[in-house]
Amino acid sequence: MTTNLIDMQNSDVIMATSNMAENHPVGFQWVMKAKERGAKLIHVDPRYTRTSAAADIHLPLRSGTNIAFFGGLINYAIAKNLYFRDYVVHYTNASFLIDPAFKTPTDLDGLFTGYDPAKKVYDRSSWKYQVDGEGNPRRDNTLKDPQTVFQLLKRHYSRYTPDMIEKVCGIPKAKFEEVAQLYCSNSGPEKTGAITYALNLTQHTNGVENIRSLCMLQLLLGNVGRPGGGVVALRGHANVQGATDLELLYHELPGYLPMPLRDQHPDLKTYLERETPKGGFWVNRPKFMVSLLKAFYGDAATKDNDFGYQWLPKRASADAYSHQHMFVDMYEGKIKGFLADGQNPAVGGPNAKLTRAAMAKLDWLLVVDIFLTETAEFWKAPGINAQDIKTEVFFLPAAPAAEKDGSLTNTMRLIQWHDKAVTPPGDVHSDADFFCSLAHRLQKLYAGSKKDRDKGFLAANFTYGAKPDEPEMVEVLKEINGVATEDITDKDGKLVYRKGQPLNSFAHLTDDGKTTSGCWIYTGVTVEVDGKLVNKAAGRKPADDKDYLAHGWGFAWPANRRILYNRAAADLRGKPWSEKKKLIWWDANAPGQKPEDKGKWVGLDVPDFNAFLAPDAKNGDKPFIMRTDLVGGFFGPLNDGPFPEHYEPVESPTKNLLSKTQINPVVKIWKVPDQKNELAPVGSPDYPYVITTYRLTEHHLSGVMSRYLPMLAELHHSHFAEISHELARELGIENGEKITVLSPRGKVHVTAMVTHRIKPFTINGKTVHQIGVPWHWGWKGVDELPGSRGDITNDLSATVGDPNVYIQETKAFVCNVKKGVV
Amino acid sequence: MVRTLAMFTDTSLCIGCRACQVACKQWNELGLEVPEWTGGYQNHAHFTDKTYRLVRFIEEPGGKPNGDLAWLLMSDVCKHCAEAGCLDACPTGAIYRTEYGTVNINQDVCNGCRYCVSSCPFGVVSFNESTGTAKKCTFCNDRIHNGLGPACAKACPTESIQFGFRDELVGKAAKRVEKLKAMGFKDAQLYGADAKGFLGGLNAFFLLLAKPSTYDLPDNPRLPQRNVMVDSLLSIGSALVVGLGVLLSFRERGKGGPHA
Amino acid sequence: MPKPPHWELMIVWYFFLGGIAGGAYFTAAIADNFGGARDRGVARAGYLLSLPLVAVCGLLLIADLGVPTRFLNMMRTLKVWDPMSIGAWIVGVFGLFTFVSSALSLSSSPSHAALRRKIGLVGIFFGFFLASYTGVLLSNSAMPFSAGEGWGKLKHADRYSMLVELLLLAALIAALGAAARPLVSGHFATLFWGGLIGLGLLLPLALDLLGTRARALGALAAALVLIGGFVLRYVVLMSVQA
Repeated sequence: MTTNLIDMQNSDVIMATSNMAENHPVGFQWVMKAKERGAKLIHVDPRYTRTSAAADIHLPLRSGTNIAFFGGLINYAIAKNLYFRDYVVHYTNASFLIDPAFKTPTDLDGLFTGYDPAKKVYDRSSWKYQVDGEGNPRRDNTLKDPQTVFQLLKRHYSRYTPDMIEKVCGIPKAKFEEVAQLYCSNSGPEKTGAITYALNLTQHTNGVENIRSLCMLQLLLGNVGRPGGGVVALRGHANVQGATDLELLYHELPGYLPMPLRDQHPDLKTYLERETPKGGFWVNRPKFMVSLLKAFYGDAATKDNDFGYQWLPKRASADAYSHQHMFVDMYEGKIKGFLADGQNPAVGGPNAKLTRAAMAKLDWLLVVDIFLTETAEFWKAPGINAQDIKTEVFFLPAAPAAEKDGSLTNTMRLIQWHDKAVTPPGDVHSDADFFCSLAHRLQKLYAGSKKDRDKGFLAANFTYGAKPDEPEMVEVLKEINGVATEDITDKDGKLVYRKGQPLNSFAHLTDDGKTTSGCWIYTGVTVEVDGKLVNKAAGRKPADDKDYLAHGWGFAWPANRRILYNRAAADLRGKPWSEKKKLIWWDANAPGQKPEDKGKWVGLDVPDFNAFLAPDAKNGDKPFIMRTDLVGGFFGPLNDGPFPEHYEPVESPTKNLLSKTQINPVVKIWKVPDQKNELAPVGSPDYPYVITTYRLTEHHLSGVMSRYLPMLAELHHSHFAEISHELARELGIENGEKITVLSPRGKVHVTAMVTHRIKPFTINGKTVHQIGVPWHWGWKGVDELPGSRGDITNDLSATVGDPNVYIQETKAFVCNVKKGVV
Repeated sequence: MVRTLAMFTDTSLCIGCRACQVACKQWNELGLEVPEWTGGYQNHAHFTDKTYRLVRFIEEPGGKPNGDLAWLLMSDVCKHCAEAGCLDACPTGAIYRTEYGTVNINQDVCNGCRYCVSSCPFGVVSFNESTGTAKKCTFCNDRIHNGLGPACAKACPTESIQFGFRDELVGKAAKRVEKLKAMGFKDAQLYGADAKGFLGGLNAFFLLLAKPSTYDLPDNPRLPQRNVMVDSLLSIGSALVVGLGVLLSFRERGKGGPHA
Repeated sequence: MPKPPHWELMIVWYFFLGGIAGGAYFTAAIADNFGGARDRGVARAGYLLSLPLVAVCGLLLIADLGVPTRFLNMMRTLKVWDPMSIGAWIVGVFGLFTFVSSALSLSSSPSHAALRRKIGLVGIFFGFFLASYTGVLLSNSAMPFSAGEGWGKLKHADRYSMLVELLLLAALIAALGAAARPLVSGHFATLFWGGLIGLGLLLPLALDLLGTRARALGALAAALVLIGGFVLRYVVLMSVQA
């Protein structure tokens, strides 16, 4: 997220689009604080949840229509002149001119220029800025030129009228306008608003564009980089942020470096050339990449061997190894072995029936987890005959957080250290122990290998501290932080770092092999002070009046900056936009970088900017340092377009009312044999209801950490579906009775929870019912609590994905509901 | 007695996360309990011998200031009444008041007569079949005697449950209720904050957003012991009537001689 | 929502037997002091009946405790305003009276008889208390039914008390209003109207008024009164907890 949860207390209005109160109750304290200070809370969610209970206004919208809604707000803000003009003109690419050949869905009935219907991809050659002779983008700061991003944006979203929103989202026009006015009027120098999101926006076939649409609204209102503003990305559990930073992902290396592609990145030089932009902070990518390779391969990584670049595995294609792709490959027999570490895809993955069927085709499966999960016992699933399963399954018990040292990086990029409280019982080990031990065993097996490809793995270090198979976790953190590989001196010959000393800042990383860093954004988390190693992640100085962002509590990457792009909190000349919303500002009298200089960015946060770059210097007024053009991007080419456009979910009860392009034209739909991924046609009478899946406060993800704990598992009577009184009446369903929910992929039996909190929508004049089903249940649980076991909701969802990151669409698809167990 | 401690549960800040309910279960090592279907998220329907903190979920159509559906969330608990029905009813002295003003059941003394169970105006006290004793919130007696607040208050992420000195909390609560009223919550009210009010005030008092009965709370709870005097007089009265009758009948029989 | 104490059959029996014990002792002491010579038998029978009954009462009360071995904890305190505390003490003290009175009733010594009569007059209070405090015990509760205003008493003995009971019951039902619904029209309605009002009160009253000379009828009337008394306690206790 761009901001910090503590800072949400400074918001004047908060729009929660996720169910923050239920899924991030601890962070939600700051929303309640903001409310106590008089902020308004708007909750946009198909369901009335505990977040709605705390909200001033609850705005239900049909699942899968987020872009329509945000587009409507963008349209409203522009039409009513409620946007923050100075911010938009100077801090975003709104004034940039776009290639005349570029056309938007307004002209092309839902498509952008360059669509190839046969290949289902875009030719993006016209999606670019006009440039002057020096290669700089041409601008019109009056925003009047029809080819400015702003005018294109305005025209694109002019179709997203309140009437259209009513038809598409099912939000009554008056209610939409009330919310639009409330949110958009909290903009400008004196006011800010924050928007939260989570899986509610991501798990769609328009997932990335969903998020872009909310970011664009925030840019338009001047809500990024400022106190009380921000794009509040709420991560799904305690360490998703850490897992993303360290890249337990198929497409990136630690620190958001692209995972090389086999065909595009044959060597390090090509890789760096193609992936290093001309401007912005990513010009330093070679330093980060080389330091990462040095961290991986140590002394074996030298300039002569491209620092071991060739030892890195390469991706065959962009979507290969993504979660869903992997299980399709597994089902087709292409993947023979699977190590599931702390993951329960038999319950938690989309199209879970396919997932389990895929695992049945494996030669071996190794599950490492803290409980014996459904994944570990997929061969015991109801209706499965274990004798038919040939997969050899291993299970290793793992230690949970309290049984090991380590860190968690939470949703606000905050790395927090935790000490081991108790030693794990018996033959139970931490993940780190397991992986180091596994690596050492594999290194022994490969010891005699003469093959080039094995050299990197054999050279890699998996020993941290005295005991090879029991790594010292502070040493691991130190490797992530990065160290000097030799004595480093400044130009006067003065020692800056001695060999092995941890680095203080990623600004000190080099591309010549003198530094290492396992994840460049974390550099600075462990430093040496007076010869002693200081673990800043373990800092526990709470917020106080002088430091409301609590810089002494943990360490927020990058460089302990709590609010990203915070240069935007000051105006062009470096003054706070207002006293009320001050964060960092240019102090012309502060001591400068050199003794003879004056001037520095100072304030309440660590500047996310060159601290000595004066506002009137070149690029001193461009806050979005991670972007090539240094400004916020309204125009931002993704695989499915430079502006978000509303498309229906792959399965929808209605045709697209905005254009003839029904679904995302470049969506990924996997073809799976044996009818394992059937999809319902648009408006299918067999599956007339919209279904959304979600989580509850009381349970955790696929239930592994909650269904086995009586004190949590007993909090919900049984697996349930929330349905409206209206639908219950239509189907003759009583509150508390068993019902069957069916999709083209499967069915589940659940308890009907008939509630006022779910209401049918009127979509294009017709009543559309939506139901909600949490997905925490599986067939395992506590024996004494029959309700801790239940059917797997993900048996209903499909194997379809967003075209940028291939995430599944589990927040909006269709189903049928039948009374009783059928 | 030292300065009275209290818990102030501000339902306007409650997000129904039930961290309090779970923290209570965990700290007090209360065991597993099979939930009944209550029609919604709430489990269990009432306080039990294993549920001392209970978050209530009440759907109230039209209950929000703007006329929207309200989902009233309230973390309910033993009220630790200044005049406690359970304490007065206890024939063994197992139920006692601590120096902090809280009401506790000495598990080593309670003999399980269950009179306290029906004497609580709020249905808090419950009988545990396996220990044979009465159970209820202890105000985390072990924690407060070691400088810690109750587990529920500690776990509450939104400060909906606040722990502190009663007089201070009452002042805070009064301000909060005024603020909420100004925000349009016209039924916002304190429940049990007034030491001159019912039961001498509650040491676990509440800020409610609707009338008490909406939350399954009595509007004007009273000590059951208030009946003792009246009923005893009635008993004496009827005793006199009966006694007189019996006396008369024996007098008549005494006079009647052998033919009677 | 207030909770019932989950008192089951043992407590119904305790209430019932306690009533009989108290009534028997009460009747015996009155007969002893104010009756004629022929009433000595009644007195002796009353004393001797009350002793085992109150002993059984004590045992029932102990057996019903969650931790019976801790029954002596009742003796740690005496709360005069607390019917449960007083009740526990009364069972003990009244037990002592029934024991002494019973022992003395076996003696033919006139001095013993004089002592017995004096003790009886004191014991009456405890006996009466035992017989009637249960009403206070039940009304002294947060349960809406029993906590209702004007909760009547459990009565015994002959036609006077039957009339009184009828009146009190009528007053109770009237006073309780809606709260009495479980009693008069709920699950326990048949038992209430048929068992208590019909068999326990109206029939014995009719029998009593019809012919006091027919001993069999008199005995039947007395038995029915006892059944009625039991039924009253049963329906009240159970409907409160239903």
